[in-house]
Amino acid sequence: MGTWLLFIYKVPNEPSARRVYVWRKLKAMGAIVLHDSVWVLPLTPRTREKLQWLASEIKEMEGGQSMLWESKQIFTGQDSDLMQQFVDQVDTQYKDILSQLQRRNPDLAALSRQYQLASAQDYFQSELGKRVYESLIELRRKGES
Amino acid sequence: MKWVTWEHIGVDRMGSAWLIQRFIDKQAEFIFIAHGSTLLPKGCEPFDIPGVRYSHHGGHCTFYVLLKEHKISDRVLERIAQIVDEADEIHKVAVEPAAPGLDLICRGLRQISRDDFEALERSRFIFEALYAELSKDEA
Repeated sequence: MGTWLLFIYKVPNEPSARRVYVWRKLKAMGAIVLHDSVWVLPLTPRTREKLQWLASEIKEMEGGQSMLWESKQIFTGQDSDLMQQFVDQVDTQYKDILSQLQRRNPDLAALSRQYQLASAQDYFQSELGKRVYESLIELRRKGES
Repeated sequence: MKWVTWEHIGVDRMGSAWLIQRFIDKQAEFIFIAHGSTLLPKGCEPFDIPGVRYSHHGGHCTFYVLLKEHKISDRVLERIAQIVDEADEIHKVAVEPAAPGLDLICRGLRQISRDDFEALERSRFIFEALYAELSKDEA
């Protein structure tokens, strides 16, 4: 069974830049929000440290509060459901890249950057990710020959 | 002075320790405490621990904050700060291609080292090399 990081936070509505900042950080990590309240990430040394940093940044904001837990699920089957949500989220991004790669004259430079950002959220080694990686290399080779 | 940070050091802690010893406190000694620990030993200056003065502020990593707090103006160090920022955090707009590579190398260096002291010692070499190479661009 996997271990998960659970994160809840509260930041005042104004100034809105702070709320956007926190939200963007969580999205960039590929965190998933459950029932509009609890943010979840698979536990890795990296996610653990990043959320600790985010918690400390929120603490520095006036009126900012947060809590961070490490947790295990104890109801059978929920683990794989949650894992699937992470895979689906990153696969959506990979599918988008793959479809753009199939068009004429795809922007390989922009798409390789998009791939890098997606792969930073790929916690369970998606098969589609490998396909995007190989397609990018193959298309580059074709473009060079 | 004695400087303290969390164990299992990575890019920002290695870089910051190098910066401290090379440009801020030549006699610096380093101590490592358990990852996640908030009990700081007395008489030590903590760095790269959430909530302390020398840590992440305003979307920047500790290396950058140390540089600013000590008012060090050195264009090469500013470049390294930018690299460490991008290595330590995901940024949609990235301008330093060395960043993800440096992050990986620092992680690997910790893995193949006996402890944090050995990792720190070895990492100096990397940051010295980076400093030397980037200095050529500024010359």
